[in-house]
Amino acid sequence: MRNKLNLQEKNPNLYLPERAKISKIKGLSDKEKFFEFELLDRKTSGHLPGQFFQVSILGIGEAPISITSPPSNNNKFEMSVRAIGDITTKLHAMSVGDIVYIRGPFGNGFTEATTNRMLNKHILFIMGGIGYFPLRSLLNKVVPEREKYKKISILYGCKTPKERMYPEELAELAKIGGNVELLETVDRAEDGWKGNCGVITTLIPKVDFDPNNTIAVIVGPPIMYKFVLKSLLEKNMPKENVYMDMERRMKCGVGKCGHCQMGGVYVCQEGPVFNYAEVEKNEELF
Amino acid sequence: MSTKTSELVITRDNLLKGIDKTIADYQVAALTKRGDRSLFNYITSSNEIKLEYQPTVLSPKKFLFPQEEVILEYTPDGKINAKIDAKPLVLFGIRPCDLNGFKILYEAFADDHGDPNYLAKLEQSIVIGIDCKKICDKNAFCFKVGSQNALGGFDIMLYELGNDYAIEIASEKGRKFIDKYLTTSKANGNEIATFQAEKTSCFGKETPFKNLEKLPETFKQNTSHAVWEQEGSRCLSCGSCIMVCPTCYCFDVKDEWDLSLKQGKRIRKWDACMVSSFATIGSGENFRHSATARLHHRIDRKFNFLMEKHGQSACVGCGRCVRACLAEISPKKIAEAINGG
Repeated sequence: MRNKLNLQEKNPNLYLPERAKISKIKGLSDKEKFFEFELLDRKTSGHLPGQFFQVSILGIGEAPISITSPPSNNNKFEMSVRAIGDITTKLHAMSVGDIVYIRGPFGNGFTEATTNRMLNKHILFIMGGIGYFPLRSLLNKVVPEREKYKKISILYGCKTPKERMYPEELAELAKIGGNVELLETVDRAEDGWKGNCGVITTLIPKVDFDPNNTIAVIVGPPIMYKFVLKSLLEKNMPKENVYMDMERRMKCGVGKCGHCQMGGVYVCQEGPVFNYAEVEKNEELF
Repeated sequence: MSTKTSELVITRDNLLKGIDKTIADYQVAALTKRGDRSLFNYITSSNEIKLEYQPTVLSPKKFLFPQEEVILEYTPDGKINAKIDAKPLVLFGIRPCDLNGFKILYEAFADDHGDPNYLAKLEQSIVIGIDCKKICDKNAFCFKVGSQNALGGFDIMLYELGNDYAIEIASEKGRKFIDKYLTTSKANGNEIATFQAEKTSCFGKETPFKNLEKLPETFKQNTSHAVWEQEGSRCLSCGSCIMVCPTCYCFDVKDEWDLSLKQGKRIRKWDACMVSSFATIGSGENFRHSATARLHHRIDRKFNFLMEKHGQSACVGCGRCVRACLAEISPKKIAEAINGG
C-alpha cells in the first residue's frame, strides 16, 4: 500500500521543498512545542491522518515529522515537536513568520479504507507520551464525528503529569462524555496528581470492549508496543484490528535512502501506519 | 544468451579510435591502470584504457551515483535551486557484474517517485559493456548468483573475438551512438554464439547456488541460522563492504553552508547500513544495534528483500566486499552456509 505523492504533479523534482510559514507557536512542555504552519506554495496540505512531512531548515537539514492536525481544505497544518536533534532544536528557536521547507506528505497513513473499517466500531486510542502527536490527526478527525462510531476510548499514559501534552485538549476530551471516554495514567504521580498511576497497560482492563468489534491504534515509545500488544492479545483482540504508527529515521521519504527499512519493509512508503497482522512477523518491528 | 545475435562487428583499433572521437563530445570513463591495480576513471585518450579486466576497488556506480552529490543549492534568503549535475558521459568497458548492478540501481532509483539526479545522469549516459570470457579472480562469484551474463544495464555490449568485437545493441541511444562514432562492419550473426561457447568452456565448471531463485525463501526460513552470529560477531562495522558494492544505494543527506555563509547546499552522501548509527532515531533508540543484526540486514537486502523485488540476486558476485573486508566476511560463504551450497 503506497500513497501517491501529492507534490509530484506540480513539482517534478522530488527533493525540491516548498515553503511553509510558521503562523503559531505554543509551548507544550520544557521539550515540546506546538506549531501551526501556513503553506505558501500550494492551497492544501493534502494529508491523511498518520502521514508526515519531511521538514527542513536551510543549512541545518531535514527530518520526518508527523502532521498532528486532521485533514483539511485550507493551507494550514499543525505539528508538535520535541527538541531532540539539530532540526527540531533549531525549529524550537524559530519565531512566528519564519519559513521552513516541507516535502510530502509521505507515507501510508490512516487511509479511507482503514477509517471506514472503524465506522460503527469501538476505537481504542492507546498513546504514550508524545505518541499523542502522530495520533492527534486521527483523534481530531474522529472525535468531532463521534456519532459514526460505537465508542471512542482514549488511553493516554505519560511519565509525569508535566509531560501530558495538550492539557487543555485533554480537559475538553474528558468533558465530552457520551461515547467518548478519556483514561489517563502517569508513571510517577507528582504535582498533586490524583488520577491513575502506573504504566499504560494498567488502563486496558479498565475499558469495556468487545475485541471483535474494536479497532485499536497504538503509538508510543518503542518499548510500549510489546506490552500493549501483549495485553490486547490476552483480551483476544484480533491482530488485524490493531494499527500501529512506527517511527524510523528517514532521509528521502520514498523508499530509496534505506534508513527507515524494517526488515524488507520501507516504513516511509508502506508505513508509518501498519496493521499489526501484516507486520507481526517482521523481525525488526521493535 | 545463446539466442543473441550481433548485427555488427568492430576491430579493436576502430573501437579505440571511435572512443577517441567521443572524447570531444562526452566525458569518457573506462578501466585504467594505476600502479599494479585498476580503477574506473575519466580518460582523455583511449591509450589510457585497460582492456583486460582486473577487479577494481570501487564499482563504476560512482559515475551515476557519486560518493557525494549536491542535490539543492540555496541562499540565506530562501532562493532554492534543485541541482542536477548531469553531463554527457560514456561509461566504457563495464563488466556484467557491474551492468547487473546498474540494472538494479536503475530499478531502485526509478521506482515509485523517480530520483531526479540518478535518472538525469543515466539519461545522458551511454553504457558500453564488455563481456567477460573468464573469471577475474578467486574472490569473484558472479556465476553463483546468475550474474556472469549481463541481464541489462547497458546500451551496447561488446563480445571479444580475437582482434574484433561483436556488437549487441540494446537501446536506440546505443544505435545512434554507434552510427555517429564507430566504424563497424556487418556481422555474420554467429559471433556472440562463438563467444558464448568460449565463455562456457571457462565458466562451465562453476555452478550457481542450489535453487538460486528460491534464495529469498531460504533466507526467510533461516533467520536464526548460526552463521549470522558467527560472521556478525567478527564484523568491525566499518562499512567498507558498502562503499565498494555496486548495488548498495543507501544514502544520507546533510546541509552545509559555505564559509561565506552566502550559499548553502544540501548534499547526499553514500551511507552504510553496516555502521552502528544507521538505524538510530532521534530518541537514541537503535533498531539495529548489533553488528550481527546489521550484517543480517545487508545480506538480506542482497539475497532476500531486493532479490524478491528485482527478480534477480541483488548481490552480483563481483567479490569487491570480500576483497575489502578485513574480517574476511563473504556473502558467498553466508549464502552457502544457509543454502547448503
